[in-house]
Amino acid sequence: MTMKLFVVSAVAGLIFSLAGSTPAKPVKTDPVPGEKIERSVAVSPQLTVTLCVASGQLTVRGWDKNELRVRSAGAGHIELRRIDKTKDPSVPASRIDVMVLESTAKVTRAVIDCQALADVEMEVPAGATVQVQTRDGDISISGVSAAYAGSQNGNIEIARVVKVVEAGSIGGSITLRDSSGRVILSSAGGIVEVVNVKASNPDDTFEVGTVSGDIQLQHVSNPKVMAKTVNGTVTMTGPLARAGHYTFTNMTGDVILALPHDASFQLNAKVSEKRDIVSDFQLKYFGEMPAPATFPAPPAKPAGTPKPVAKGHPPQKTGPIIAPVPVERPINPYVSRRVTAVCGSGDATISVASFGGTVRLKKL
Amino acid sequence: MTRCLDEGTLQSYFDGELSPHLMGSATAHLAACVTCAAAARELAEETALLTSALTAEFEVSVPTQALRERIDAAVLGERVANAGRSEKAGLFASVSSIFSFNSQRTLGYASLAVVLAFGTIIGIVKYRQSGTINTTDNVAVVPSAPSNSDKVGVTADQPQSVVADSRSAAPVVKAPSRTSTPRVIPVKTNHTVKLLPGERSYLQAIARLDTTIKENKTAMRPSLQVEYERNLAVVDRAIAATRNAAKSNPNDPDAADFMFAAYQSKVDLLNTIADARLSGGRGH
Repeated sequence: MTMKLFVVSAVAGLIFSLAGSTPAKPVKTDPVPGEKIERSVAVSPQLTVTLCVASGQLTVRGWDKNELRVRSAGAGHIELRRIDKTKDPSVPASRIDVMVLESTAKVTRAVIDCQALADVEMEVPAGATVQVQTRDGDISISGVSAAYAGSQNGNIEIARVVKVVEAGSIGGSITLRDSSGRVILSSAGGIVEVVNVKASNPDDTFEVGTVSGDIQLQHVSNPKVMAKTVNGTVTMTGPLARAGHYTFTNMTGDVILALPHDASFQLNAKVSEKRDIVSDFQLKYFGEMPAPATFPAPPAKPAGTPKPVAKGHPPQKTGPIIAPVPVERPINPYVSRRVTAVCGSGDATISVASFGGTVRLKKL
Repeated sequence: MTRCLDEGTLQSYFDGELSPHLMGSATAHLAACVTCAAAARELAEETALLTSALTAEFEVSVPTQALRERIDAAVLGERVANAGRSEKAGLFASVSSIFSFNSQRTLGYASLAVVLAFGTIIGIVKYRQSGTINTTDNVAVVPSAPSNSDKVGVTADQPQSVVADSRSAAPVVKAPSRTSTPRVIPVKTNHTVKLLPGERSYLQAIARLDTTIKENKTAMRPSLQVEYERNLAVVDRAIAATRNAAKSNPNDPDAADFMFAAYQSKVDLLNTIADARLSGGRGH
């Protein structure tokens, strides 16, 4: 009797304990606000992934796994939508569109994209191409093959990209570090800062443009560098690529080139007659040609010659002083001049066009 | 009086409002009827209680009808006396009376103000609709010159108007519109607008982009608007300066290059803004 009671009690306890630990069916709960949602999927090493949100910090990191992992805080729903042509689910995806939504409503084709206000973090294969876009948030991308980033007012930081970088912002700044390949950067009002960038192919160009933002280039060794701004200051620091072509265009800002003491370059400058070319290097001038003008051109002066400044006592006047006579002289508000000079053997070519700024060549 | 007195009669009895005949009958009835005497006693007690409770209220002087009549008579007399004075004083009095607010006049003035406000708003809207330029049709339509030259002559014979574009260094010739009457700068006879060589294509591109941006009905976000306006002003200043230089030095290709670079900067900026406004979704 005691034995029977013991067996029945043990069996009943076992049944109850198993029933408590095993749910009857999978429970799906809505994410708690602020809780991180995570999705992951196996992908191709050369994945192309796209992401678009309205606002929020976007962070993309490359890793050595053939897997895409997306996490978000603040999003209600994340869908990794496969958009490549291959429909075979056994084949890893090569193109994925990351849909981040605020609500947990079912995702349909009519759902509004790029409207989520959420921070998103992604880990992608190191060989991936990343295309991210946000309206107000900041973007950070590192360790991928190609990066395309766009933000209206957010700042963009890109590092360790090996093939292509294209980034654009209207009001935010752009920072690019330790990368290679073809580079195109543009910002209307933000600063563009580039550090340690080189070409991965001989025809990899480097282009950067702003309206009012400054451009700061440090150790950029692409064979063809173009920097253009309206009234920002262009500063380039570091060695020149051998046989490289550097083109700087601005309207009112200065162009400052800080080069090694043994830099070898040819300088082709188009500047205002009123502005100077200040050089720490011994330049061998090929000639200075003031552009023809409608008004009589001022007498030619060698480049770098300081303008005469009236000092001391005024010259003595002779003859009777009757009355001040206004003399009408033709006013020529702008006269451009071209300067061609060589430093060293002239390996690299520097072309500067500055409408109203000063060109400074400094030794490092 | 054999029937019992009702409450109204009893109240009138205590208030002294009954006729002498009814007063005598009521008094006789109360003396003979125990029930009515009790009711009368109860009513008298209630009246005494109310009178003591409301003594403070009753002590406040309230204008009586006689007082009102005296005031009206005094006002009437004052008006009659003032009628003999000058018309200016009468006019001033009437104007003053307009601005003297009582409850009815306040309501009337408020209604009038509402009607006038609606009328003003509708008038402004109508005026703007008729006065603004139809951008989709007219923005920077540069008529093709008879020759390859970029010189566009505007004379009094040609019904065209020169509209100064505040954001562009170059004045833009706009075609007239039948449906609108743009605010224009008066055109002098034989006034000539000279476009520098190569300038036309940039102006056309800028006009198209400007139209595209303005056609977008969604309001530009303030932060984007501020950045756009700030950088546009920077570019426009550069265009104005370089254009002035190119105009002063027509044989200087470098001056023209600077001007074209400034124009290109504006085209790039407008392209960026247009893309940012149009790309509600993914731009790739």
